[in-house]
Amino acid sequence: MADAAPIVSIRSLTKVYRQGDINVTALNNLSLDIAAGEFLALMGPSGSGKSTLLHIIAGVDRPTNGQCRVQGIDVAKLSESDLADWRNQNVGFVFQSFNLIPVLTAFENVELPLLLTKLGGRQRKKQVRTALELVGLADRSHHLPRQLSGGQEQRVAIARALVTDPALIVADEPTGNLDANSANEALGILQALTTSAGKTVILVTHDPKAAAFGSRTVHLEKGELVV
Amino acid sequence: MPGRLALRLVKSIVPPFRHPHNALRADRPVTIATFIAKNALRNKRRAALCVLSVAVSLFLLVTLLVTLREFTIPPEDIGAAARIVVRNRISLANPLPYRQRAVIEKIPGVEAVSPFSWFGGKYRNEEFTAFAQFAMDPKLLRPIFGEAKMGEGQFEAFERDRTACILGKLTADKYGLKLGDKMVLESTIYPCTIELKIAGIYSGTIDDRNVLFHHDYLDEASGLKGTVGTWWVKARSLDEVAPVVTAINEAFKNTSCEVRAETERAFQLSFVSMLGNIQVLIGSICTVVVFSLVLVAASTMSMAIRERMRELAVLKALGFRQRELFAFILAESFGLAMFGAALGVGGAWFLFEPAQLMQKITGGLFITFEVTPRIIGTASAVAAGLGIVASIAPAAGVAKMSVVQGLKTLD
Repeated sequence: MADAAPIVSIRSLTKVYRQGDINVTALNNLSLDIAAGEFLALMGPSGSGKSTLLHIIAGVDRPTNGQCRVQGIDVAKLSESDLADWRNQNVGFVFQSFNLIPVLTAFENVELPLLLTKLGGRQRKKQVRTALELVGLADRSHHLPRQLSGGQEQRVAIARALVTDPALIVADEPTGNLDANSANEALGILQALTTSAGKTVILVTHDPKAAAFGSRTVHLEKGELVV
Repeated sequence: MPGRLALRLVKSIVPPFRHPHNALRADRPVTIATFIAKNALRNKRRAALCVLSVAVSLFLLVTLLVTLREFTIPPEDIGAAARIVVRNRISLANPLPYRQRAVIEKIPGVEAVSPFSWFGGKYRNEEFTAFAQFAMDPKLLRPIFGEAKMGEGQFEAFERDRTACILGKLTADKYGLKLGDKMVLESTIYPCTIELKIAGIYSGTIDDRNVLFHHDYLDEASGLKGTVGTWWVKARSLDEVAPVVTAINEAFKNTSCEVRAETERAFQLSFVSMLGNIQVLIGSICTVVVFSLVLVAASTMSMAIRERMRELAVLKALGFRQRELFAFILAESFGLAMFGAALGVGGAWFLFEPAQLMQKITGGLFITFEVTPRIIGTASAVAAGLGIVASIAPAAGVAKMSVVQGLKTLD
């Protein structure tokens, strides 16, 4: 695995935000490689730039300078439309606040990303069921988010992140709103995805216990990697 | 342990599902429509109020448009094209001398001439009597108003009895009157009250409300023999209408009683012009109604979308493009507007056409109150435009929003 080309290759990445008259440097000349199948934990204090880095890798933000290649593609150079397609095919998102659509059932939430594919209804249903079984919630598929516990909601979110079979799963503080047991469940699923399914998981966290599930931990401080 | 369970589950699914390469945008399945519908009904109270506001406003709009149409385009009888109305050139209120009849009858192209005087009577002490009463020559009823239909023998009965009258079916039904009943009418114009016996009940004209009686009886009762309100003339053919109109006007030019002869349609429309600039008035009200509606709908949609900014950011993150999100917003806004239109316009059509509500509540003031296809189309177009306009601002907000900004939005 160490010799294979990294799935994510970052070179001299810089991100500067303009806030009024002030420029805020969120990332400063950062370089990093992430191997395929790795479970990388990004740690750092608040404002260290870890979420910004995650967003750039996931294609929801663009760098000010530098390069971020995912599976060989410089995502910053894609048009908005192509970037949306690319995200749908290659990235699964897990958020701290779960971000499930409240009016859709668990099944429908997981199905959402598949609506943008060529798959027919039957195939979509099969993939959704598979994803829900993977997270152990096949029997709750017709429940609305408000009828699920926090841990169950996050598992549905993980299922949604998996359903398009992306190579990369990004999780931004996914256990921030969970109790210890639910957090362990969710992190366990993410870990299993890297060891058994070959997914690459990038986890942003400030919790060392969560970071311990990763195969590697990287620390950021003031937009730079701390060696 | 949860981790081991997850691992077992993952291992049991071999190989994992494959995402198709070069996935292109698919034909949209019904789930998209379900998604839009669920979002639209997310806040049921707000959706209901929005739909109701559209429905009530469009109901009002349709009512105004129909009222305007009824005022400005009065209904026309089949036989009206060949009828000519002759009145005093100075004012409709000024009478005409009886001697003019002989002159008009001699004009080439004239088939029949009858006096036609509005009685202006009040019935049963009503504040407002919704049917008009006219005195005429009973023998000329059929030649001039051929479209009126009555039962066997009723025309003859009307002609025979000087105190007889015929009554429109709508008025007969309204007051429960039948053949042989008596009607007492107190005139607001002539110094008399008359009692009429119903000899016939007519239908088949555009206005089945009126009372027609003998002009001789009016002359005797009022003591004003020798004058008439107007002359109604039947031309022999449609081609002769224009020359007859000209000839009548010329015949009394520079006399002590000049006349204005015009077609029945022109005569009807002259009443419309007395209403002043009603089109501007009603048009202004319609504009205010529509403008208010746009504000309400746009505000409702903006509120609904603002609440969902984070969800929309998530959809963007999942791969939905801006135009797809705009389509969701537009479909929701359009759907609510058209549902409101169905209720409002449909409700107006039902109340005014089959149920004839306006005729009933105005006591027959409106002969017809037709919700035409054009008016339905106009109201529907307003609703469609409303749905589109209301979606513009929220869609623009979503377009400007980045995924990162949207994810930071508080619930």
